[in-house]
Amino acid sequence: MIAYAAFARSGFLTSLAYRNEVWANIFGKLVQVFARVAIWLAVYAGVTAVDGISISDMITYALLGGVVMGATRYDRIVRQVGNALKTGDVAIWLLKPVHYPLYLLAIEAGMSAYTFLLAVVPTIAIVALIYGMQPPASLLHGLMFVGFCALSFIIHFLCAAIFGVLAFWLMTVFSLEWLLQSLISLLSGLLIPFWFFPEPFGTIASHQPLAWLVYYPSAVWLGRLDMGATLLYFGIGLGWAGLLATVLALLWHRASSRITVQGG
Amino acid sequence: MLHRLGILPLLVKMFIKSQMEYRGAFWLDRLAQIISYGAVLLGMWILLQKFELLGGWNWPQLALLFSFQLLAYSLGASVSFTQLRDLEELVRLGTLDALLTKPVNTWAYLIFSGLNIGYAGHIILAVPVLIWALLAAQVEWSIGNALFFAGSLLSATLVTGAVITMIGATALIWVRSNHLFAIFFGFWELTRYPLNIFPGGIQVVMLTVVPLAYISAVPVAVLLGKPVPLLGDLAAPAALLAGPLLVLLAVAHWRYALSRYQGAGG
Repeated sequence: MIAYAAFARSGFLTSLAYRNEVWANIFGKLVQVFARVAIWLAVYAGVTAVDGISISDMITYALLGGVVMGATRYDRIVRQVGNALKTGDVAIWLLKPVHYPLYLLAIEAGMSAYTFLLAVVPTIAIVALIYGMQPPASLLHGLMFVGFCALSFIIHFLCAAIFGVLAFWLMTVFSLEWLLQSLISLLSGLLIPFWFFPEPFGTIASHQPLAWLVYYPSAVWLGRLDMGATLLYFGIGLGWAGLLATVLALLWHRASSRITVQGG
Repeated sequence: MLHRLGILPLLVKMFIKSQMEYRGAFWLDRLAQIISYGAVLLGMWILLQKFELLGGWNWPQLALLFSFQLLAYSLGASVSFTQLRDLEELVRLGTLDALLTKPVNTWAYLIFSGLNIGYAGHIILAVPVLIWALLAAQVEWSIGNALFFAGSLLSATLVTGAVITMIGATALIWVRSNHLFAIFFGFWELTRYPLNIFPGGIQVVMLTVVPLAYISAVPVAVLLGKPVPLLGDLAAPAALLAGPLLVLLAVAHWRYALSRYQGAGG
């Protein structure tokens, strides 16, 4: 366990070494969050509420999307796992007394913590000061939001790692990265919340695992779910995380045992 | 001179051959890109089903903006992006020194030896959407409008190539330049939307310092007869001139950066 904490610290410090990139990322993110808010202001165009959702709700939703998705980078995880498997570098990790997926999780947690503190928080604070942001619906909703954020990070990591391991069979990291990007952009709720999807697509979309990346954390903050539903969907999210972890473990087992057969 | 330029088609041929060695993976990558951009377009459609207008633009008009941007970007980036993104690594490892000693223009060698045919996926998606959108958005066609469409698409392609070239060439001075691409792509995503929906500051930046408004929002607004913020009546000539002017600027910047290059590799 101490080893994984050290990996997380190492991930944090590695990010610290590339400060220029962090500043460029802050700027890039700032522009994107401004853009997302601008899009909602433009589509509402003077209307105060659509389907019971006010423009203030949507600005808060856009900002929360930046909070939960701003730090973790699926492309980095997919590329790291995929390249390690393709090049055989992963063999070095198989010799060490650490579990490679857990090592990746620790490194990503460290890097995400760095980006979150130095890029996401300032970005969101600036945009929130300009456009305003609603507080959580209640103290309990606020606390549950933190839990949903942790769940969002875990599901995000698991999906990206599964896509990375698939590169072992498909031999292309590039297409897996793009496919996951398309799924996340449409099915996480990052760009459009599912309450604006035509039915039955809204209901279907809100029950697949990527919905826990952005849609549920933000919906909980805004109080769109009462406390019973919040706890229920937190439980379903945990179920999805357990299922994804099992899939990752199985795929990882198959991929790593095939590497042993192939040799160096 | 002609003899030296004769090598360029050979470089392109060799690169395409190497890419096509893994034909299955190549087309799988293209399919993934088509699905990814298709998802963005689908997201826009869902939004417009609910709200009808975005900054005064309807669905066919936004599809026209999206496809024009995707086509101009893919044409411009195929002769610039991956080659100049990798320039940073060539500088860091010192590999560029070997290229500088070749009896052929360094820029031409870099670009044509890595001419990115991977943008085929972008084009396969962009062209049919563009044709549908041009018909559905009810553009008022005249000879002038048709010439403007062709000219502004060419200009938009040149803007993309020139801006990417300038960013990439910065690696010759600073060694690192890839973080600037993060800023570039931040603004690039905004070019899928009409310029008028953004705050004044972003509009000014996108018309001047990061002139990406000329790759889609300005020319498409002119084509549809919509007002362009800040530029007004100057929008049409600005859309046509932006490409050639930025190319001249990129040539000057490339030459300056090359003159400042001192090497960073071992």
